[in-house]
Amino acid sequence: MPEAGSGTSRNRSVNRRPEEEVIERRGPGRAQATDLLARFRKTAERAAPEPAPADGAGARGVMEVAADIVARAARFLPGNTPDAETDLFDAGLSSVDAVELVAVMARELDVRVSLDDVFADARPRRLAQRWAAAAGLPTAVPDARPDAPSPSTPTTSSSNGSPSIAPVVVRASDGGADEDLEMILADLALADRLPFSHQADRVPPRRILLTGATGYLGSHLLLDLLRQRDAHVVCLVRAADDAAAERRLADALASFDQPWSSEVRRRVTVLAADLRQPRLGLSPEGWESLAQEIDAIVNVAAAVDFLRGYPSLRQTNVLGPLVLAELAMTGRPKPLHHISSVAVFNEVGIEKMGEDDPVAHIDRLVAGYDKSKWAAEAVLRRAREHGLTVTFLRPGAIGGHTRTGVYNPRDLSTGLIGAFSRYRTVPAFKFMNLAPVDWISKVVAAVVFDPQAWGQNYNVTGRAETLPELVKDMKLAGMNVRVANWRDWRDDLLQRHAAEPVPELDFLVRILRSPTAMKLFEALMFGPEAGSERTETFVTRHRLPMAERYGGQAQLKAFERMAKDGVARLPSREDPPYLSFRERTKGHVGPIGEDRDTRCRMALTLSIASMYQVVRHRKIDVRGEVTCERLHPEPLTVEAGEIWVRPDEGVPLRHGSDHPLLRYRLVLVDRDGGRWWLEGWKTARASRDFWKQTRTIEVTIGREGEPAGLSGVVKVPGKSYVPDQIDGIRVDPRLSSQEQRLAKLAWLSWFFVQVGMGLAEPSLRVAAELLDLRRDAIDRDKDKLQRKIRKLMIKREQTR
Amino acid sequence: MTLRPLHHALGDRVEEIPFTASDGTELGLCRVAPEDGATDRPAVLILHGLTASADMFTLPETRNLVDVLLDAGYEPWLLDWRGSCRLPYNEGRVRYTFDDVALYDIPEAVSLIRERIDGRELLVVAHCIGAMCLSLSMAAGLVPGLAGVVAQGVFLTPKMSWKTRARLHFGGELLRSRLVNIPTDFKKVGLWSKHSLIFAEVSLGAECKDPNCQILNNDSWGVGGSLFEHDNLDDVTHDRLADLYGTVPMWILPHLRSIELAHTMMRYNDADGRYDALPKNALDNAGKFDIPLMLLSGSDNRFWYDSNELCHDVLTRRYPEMDVRYVEVPGYGHLDTFIGRNAALDVFGHIVDFLDECRSVNATAVRE
Repeated sequence: MPEAGSGTSRNRSVNRRPEEEVIERRGPGRAQATDLLARFRKTAERAAPEPAPADGAGARGVMEVAADIVARAARFLPGNTPDAETDLFDAGLSSVDAVELVAVMARELDVRVSLDDVFADARPRRLAQRWAAAAGLPTAVPDARPDAPSPSTPTTSSSNGSPSIAPVVVRASDGGADEDLEMILADLALADRLPFSHQADRVPPRRILLTGATGYLGSHLLLDLLRQRDAHVVCLVRAADDAAAERRLADALASFDQPWSSEVRRRVTVLAADLRQPRLGLSPEGWESLAQEIDAIVNVAAAVDFLRGYPSLRQTNVLGPLVLAELAMTGRPKPLHHISSVAVFNEVGIEKMGEDDPVAHIDRLVAGYDKSKWAAEAVLRRAREHGLTVTFLRPGAIGGHTRTGVYNPRDLSTGLIGAFSRYRTVPAFKFMNLAPVDWISKVVAAVVFDPQAWGQNYNVTGRAETLPELVKDMKLAGMNVRVANWRDWRDDLLQRHAAEPVPELDFLVRILRSPTAMKLFEALMFGPEAGSERTETFVTRHRLPMAERYGGQAQLKAFERMAKDGVARLPSREDPPYLSFRERTKGHVGPIGEDRDTRCRMALTLSIASMYQVVRHRKIDVRGEVTCERLHPEPLTVEAGEIWVRPDEGVPLRHGSDHPLLRYRLVLVDRDGGRWWLEGWKTARASRDFWKQTRTIEVTIGREGEPAGLSGVVKVPGKSYVPDQIDGIRVDPRLSSQEQRLAKLAWLSWFFVQVGMGLAEPSLRVAAELLDLRRDAIDRDKDKLQRKIRKLMIKREQTR
Repeated sequence: MTLRPLHHALGDRVEEIPFTASDGTELGLCRVAPEDGATDRPAVLILHGLTASADMFTLPETRNLVDVLLDAGYEPWLLDWRGSCRLPYNEGRVRYTFDDVALYDIPEAVSLIRERIDGRELLVVAHCIGAMCLSLSMAAGLVPGLAGVVAQGVFLTPKMSWKTRARLHFGGELLRSRLVNIPTDFKKVGLWSKHSLIFAEVSLGAECKDPNCQILNNDSWGVGGSLFEHDNLDDVTHDRLADLYGTVPMWILPHLRSIELAHTMMRYNDADGRYDALPKNALDNAGKFDIPLMLLSGSDNRFWYDSNELCHDVLTRRYPEMDVRYVEVPGYGHLDTFIGRNAALDVFGHIVDFLDECRSVNATAVRE
């Protein structure tokens, strides 16, 4: 294993004296990893020489620039004062803030760095160095301590004043991938300092520590943990105090449509703590008490950002799990269930992604996120060797909830679904390991409660989506897509986004523009389907829902939410229609209560933008003209209009046996700018003239904002119905002939079934009323009894 | 008349109150006293659905609605109306319709509770047919002054799938003339009886081997619906289904059919003057409702489907001033919203939040 052979602990050029002294000086008993690390840090700080005075313009420049960057960044981080070695994302900078910070640095400091530079390594000192390197200035910094703790280590202290967990690494001078690698190797070495323990007792937990409950998967998992057993859950939430942590959790749960009722509150304890801090930022007593009271740890917390570099992510994604491993090994051994990711396989060209297959080669991973997830597994594998019971649960992309539709706006799959629906092109991917959050959460919770399942690896990836299945789903929804080579697809998307930016897709575009994130993307596009035999066996054994494809039907609710939020886009009236046809009507209207003396004609074009529109909302778009001299001598234009098929499922408008069949609602504009409304109803009645009922519209018309002034009846002439509405259907010419036929068939089938059901309802009611007159079993039984008695009496008479 | 004892783990806090409706039908009513003996709590009347009973709200094996209401500061009252399986009427030969429930059972129980609670607020949580009957009572103005109503599954606008409609209305019609009722308990049916064929039919394609579960979950009483999500039930509850859900009387079908085909809660007895107090159509009279109303439904309700969402849409469109909201519980079917293992977590929180809101609104109104 590379991490075992080449860590800094084995690097002979590194001065290990201070650490050796600390180890030598430790008292009897096993020192905890955090203690050792904290003491290393102190020793290193003491041993480090005072920063030399700046002797070169370049060096001085770098540190000054770094200080200036710190000052500018502080504007975006109220209440938090970073220093030159603090990763700004760790300090709370958001992606949007990063964009602004880049602009501020350019404007106010004349320091121009790219957004990718900030995402890759957001330590002000590194940003200043990158700028200096690009400007041809010296990049050396006055603090040239070769053995100093990693500059990426946050300098914030825990609440009890103890220094933060601090790996000892050599700072590579050139930065970039080599520096990442060295940092990873140093982080891996930390696992060696974990104590040794025996395996956790195989007993279902009663009290569980959960991290990441304010996140998307974590919030769902919290509820599933509560649902599957009667366990109590302690949620570790980053906040100033427990009350603030509880508020933060409550807000997060609400944002994901999860309940935070008194019933949930009575089984949850919220603990303010910070995963990135030594001992979670708890006091020694708090740490000990937590270690004693909990029975299992579930680590969902992670910094999920495909643009940020390893230095920016490691604190949460690697050192956090390490602290939890230490907690699990403190006192009574507890199992640690770690939500990893199939990103640990994200190597371009990897052939297998089975649950027990070797993960990717670290030197072939490019994105910081992939590296951090890889490193987390590597340190926890080492912890396994120390005796810790560690379970790896690896989801792929996490799709929206199949029932609530709540989705993760920062998941790559969200951006992809949004892009597919907007631009109607899809890249030629092989597999998309995508499963809905509710299924993942259920499976993970079940693993937590099943001691026999602990200590294994699970790919919680569901059933992978394939390109043909996706294309077919989109086709059936009437949202046909074009398949493109993935690089062409990317170029096309970037072009379209540049021409007409969609803020909701910015994060996807940033990924597609980032060379490192692109590699992650490429691995994702061409990676194999994740193997999940163990997970499938587990799911079957526990009678959990089997992994099903996260297809069109399953993601419908999430898609609707995405469309509502502007991420995805549903076809609308403004788009070229999917399918359209004409409807012409003739009839008469007149003032309400008077003779219908004026001719009224409608020449309408009825269209739908997608099958989704009719199947889900039963609405048809209307355009065209209405001619009625009582309104205006010239035809009026339909400015907006829709037809609602079986409005409100055909609930009668008033008591009676008539059921509404179609409702027309049009906004009309005359040539002089006068505005009118028209409402029309086709009604199903319990009579045999079904053909007439389907063509007759009772209309009322009024000026905008006024009650109806005219009413009447218009009809679709029988002669024009079939030529216009069946033979005359025009389908989007851009579709293939097969797609056009499918569109026509789908529409006609749907519409005639709906109209048929609507027409049948009044007749069914009438028939049912007649059936009510039939004798029921009680009556029949009475008759039977009477017949029997009569028979007996006759027999008796005859006997006499 | 024998009222089967309530199955609960509430000890002597359950006070049975003798209650006979004015048409002479003996019913079941009980009050559950809070542990602290408080007598100033708002009362909550809980109504079960057809063939169920108050047992469904007091399941000892799970955290039930009564437990949650007591902990939230309410005083639960449980009515066993004449469709209860704790009462013998569904297995008897005296027909009743939902009109009787709306005219006698619910209004008279409300009056009796009012006498006992001495001006305290009264709220109602109603399930399925209990909620439909309540809507008819409310439309008739027979239960004035309620502080808030929660209706689960269905309320004013019943709607089934077309498959269920076809089987219920026409298959049911064939059975109605041959069977007086359909038992849910396979032990009452045996292997060879006229009901056995129904149990055979509902077992087709069933994953669960329990016939009592099959007749409720796989193919509810042979009409094609499903009354709960199987995995949402506690094992103990699953094994008690035959106690929780009793015999379906077939004479109720004409009324059920008429309201489902019309998608509207309606009076059935047109030519009987005793029922004149009830409106012909409850939906047309829903404008009278001046209380907060919460319509609740499981997202996977495969019996009444999205009836309550439809009801919400219709009410908000026709009566925009009405205080009505719709809450959908993800992953739940119909009965499991009350008897589900995790109903306290997923469902009762919504109910308590709503009742609390109704209380605070009323408290504000009183202060003003």
